[in-house]
Amino acid sequence: MVSDADFDADELAMLRQLFRDEAHEALEAVTARALSAGAGAPSADSLTEMMRVTHTLKGSAGTLGLDDMVDLAHRLETALDQVRTGQLAWTARVGDQIVEIVDGVRAHVDAMNEPIAAASFADHVRALLERLAESSGDRTRATPAPAPRPARPTLSDGVPRVVDGADTTLSITPSTDLPAVDGRPLLRVEAERIDALMSSTGELLFDRTRIERRVQLLRTLARDLGRTRQALREEVGQLRAAATDAARVALEERLRQVEAGLAGQATQLAQTTAALLDETEALRHTIGDIQRGLLRTRMQTSRALFAHLARSLRAISRSAGVRVELRTSGDDTEFDKALAEQLTDPLVQLLRNAVVHGIETPDERIARGKPQVGTVRVAARHDGNLVLVELSDDGNGIDPRKLRERFVATGRWTAARAELASDDDVLAAIFEPGVSSRDDADELSGRGIGLDLVRETIARLGGEIRLTSSPGRGTTFTMRLPVSTAVTQAMLFKVHGQVYALPQVHVVETTSVEADATTVAGRHEQLPVVRLEQVLSDPTSPPAEPQRRAGVVVTYAGKGLVCTVDKVVGPREIVVRPLGPLLAPLPLYAGATISGSGKVQLILDPAALVRLAYPGSPMIDLPSPSAPSPQTLAGRALVVDDSRAIREALTAMLSREGWIVDVAEDGARAVQMAQQLRYDLVVTDLEMPRLGGFELIGRLRENRTTAATAVVIVTSRASPENRRRARDLGVRALVAKPITRRKLLEALAAR
Amino acid sequence: MPDLKNVIVFALGGARWAAEIRYVREVISLGFVTTVPTAPAGIAGVFNLRGAITPVLDLGPLVGRAAHPAPRQGDGALLLEVDGASAALRLDNVDEIATLPVSTDAVRDGRGRMVPLIDPPQLLRRALHAAQAVRGDEPPTESRLPVADLDGDPTLG
Repeated sequence: MVSDADFDADELAMLRQLFRDEAHEALEAVTARALSAGAGAPSADSLTEMMRVTHTLKGSAGTLGLDDMVDLAHRLETALDQVRTGQLAWTARVGDQIVEIVDGVRAHVDAMNEPIAAASFADHVRALLERLAESSGDRTRATPAPAPRPARPTLSDGVPRVVDGADTTLSITPSTDLPAVDGRPLLRVEAERIDALMSSTGELLFDRTRIERRVQLLRTLARDLGRTRQALREEVGQLRAAATDAARVALEERLRQVEAGLAGQATQLAQTTAALLDETEALRHTIGDIQRGLLRTRMQTSRALFAHLARSLRAISRSAGVRVELRTSGDDTEFDKALAEQLTDPLVQLLRNAVVHGIETPDERIARGKPQVGTVRVAARHDGNLVLVELSDDGNGIDPRKLRERFVATGRWTAARAELASDDDVLAAIFEPGVSSRDDADELSGRGIGLDLVRETIARLGGEIRLTSSPGRGTTFTMRLPVSTAVTQAMLFKVHGQVYALPQVHVVETTSVEADATTVAGRHEQLPVVRLEQVLSDPTSPPAEPQRRAGVVVTYAGKGLVCTVDKVVGPREIVVRPLGPLLAPLPLYAGATISGSGKVQLILDPAALVRLAYPGSPMIDLPSPSAPSPQTLAGRALVVDDSRAIREALTAMLSREGWIVDVAEDGARAVQMAQQLRYDLVVTDLEMPRLGGFELIGRLRENRTTAATAVVIVTSRASPENRRRARDLGVRALVAKPITRRKLLEALAAR
Repeated sequence: MPDLKNVIVFALGGARWAAEIRYVREVISLGFVTTVPTAPAGIAGVFNLRGAITPVLDLGPLVGRAAHPAPRQGDGALLLEVDGASAALRLDNVDEIATLPVSTDAVRDGRGRMVPLIDPPQLLRRALHAAQAVRGDEPPTESRLPVADLDGDPTLG
């Protein structure tokens, strides 16, 4: 093992992860070359290259002290060398064995962190290697590896060169010099990190939508303010006309000044809002750029997917006893890594169906005048924002006539329906659940195995699948999918029989809620209950009976709540879709997703739930200008602190108590603000840039309008000296940091 | 002299309506319709149209009449498209697609009967404003909104 002095645990874990990636690429390259050779031996160049990447792998494994891996790589290298020197004759069988060995090495690498499993994979590979040596008739055993010399780690090696592969047999062209990509430096990043960034960007999208809603609200507010000012101006005008005595003239004069001030502020608000609108527009572009950039980093070519299919085909056809060749095109078509991963299983399923049920036996094929070896083609190409994946075979195809008979015979369709349905309808029906099961043994029905699941997976990815077939000539499946998918984790639950989702990042846990509970004990405080069966009721749903219900604990913007649901479905990966312009204004929803069966499921906006749970909280919601909410306002407060975190914390606490809160980052700004607006309460820090807390209070006391304003000091310097000074300045309370809600409430209650 | 326009005449809840064909992308059959709680009466639900979340409109409330029964999977609908915003307008069946004489608010069908003409841009705008009203907004006076630059507010017949 590597000594502790070489790497600490974190470094070692990171290096192993890098090694795992490197090994995957190297092993993939060996597999591809072995497979592409088929029955003919690989070229000397190709063998040299296979040996080179294996050798590099051995060096890296040695650096990390992976002794088993060093041994396996060494033995594989030896076996390859025997092929190169002609000691071991290449046959299709040998090719298969080498692929199997490489698969075993891969399994060993993947099990690296589980020593027992890893060791058993290593033994398995050694057994395979010995069998390979025996099959060649050469009984000389692979010599044990020499003690690995700690080589320079070559962790950036082994990146497959990008090769144009228009309709090449198998995906990877046997070419030399794999590692270089135009000599540009490459950065190896764990896929998980990119995924984490992706999901943050997804959140950013939700945030952006909220900000845009707020800005729209601000615009309305600015307009309303303009109207109020206009009304005031008219009133003042009338007052002027009616002014008789000096007092009224003076009042009119003062009101006119107020109106002028209001005019300035209204204009400023309108301008600021307009600017904000432009800035959110800029934000939208930036977020778009970031997302597109991230998506590009996650893009993969179809090469790896195709190589995987080639390996699967190998295994499937071996066990089915059918000879099938895979031809690929569009090897360089790029799509999202997540998409490639999700697409693998459906494609393997289709491949299996093609081999097991589509391709005829060699005798049948000859009788039909087809080449003895069957062909499966898989192609990928872009079509606008979609990627088109096509998988076709030259087997016996699907006969709609027979399918009709079968549907009628099994009672799935009536004879009349079978008669009326077009061939396309009949073929489309094959994707329906339960068209056939594993119990059905005949070739026709066997075709249906798992096709409903295939369609479901494709639908979940936002795509669709179609089938065309010409009886006797073959079958083609065409899949259209979005190039990238904004996949995110969500918690799914049912309310009134409909499934809804909440972004998982905002879901803490699930719980249960008593029938009449208005709060539920959370980890730190009582959480308000939002009854979704009421919020999400529609006229057609029966009134919900009060009963004990499942609850989902949600936090957003530092606030917690429990929403009641009929049933928790569980966490799922979902693809977030926009609601479209007509539904976007509805505050309750953040988007939608499409279920595996193609139904739309709505994603609730946690911000909206918080608004429901904390009505009248100004921090969370601007009071609607058109319909002022009948909230009891504690008054208007100014929070002054140079720490943003403290400002936010105080704002949250005060808002919850019904205060409308403004913030200032220092005393100087606070003085300005206090001149423009009357505050009922000032909560200030002491040490701040430009103008400190005591100086601020001094200024407030000097001015007639602000002299009596209630002041609370929140400071980490709660010395007796400061307390005395605060008392002299008529400060209501001095609270020592760290501030808690309880301390603040006590301070506010103080006289 | 009335203009001749390409219109589609359809039946809904015992009444007949016409719409200019240029706003109708296709006649579709609705997929599973998900209801949208809190949505205004004119928006009866959403469904998945080839991967796009598409609202289903109920003509009734949008023209000041009673709501129709909730739309269901398999119901017929016009897929309206206005400035990139699309929505499905549920119908019972399509009567005819023809070139008919059109006045501002009605068409004269083949048998000489007057059929009220709906204005899809206005319909979508009303649905949008109704949705914004849920949020507490007043209808915008000027707009940066998607169903914009369709000015005027002609009333329906």
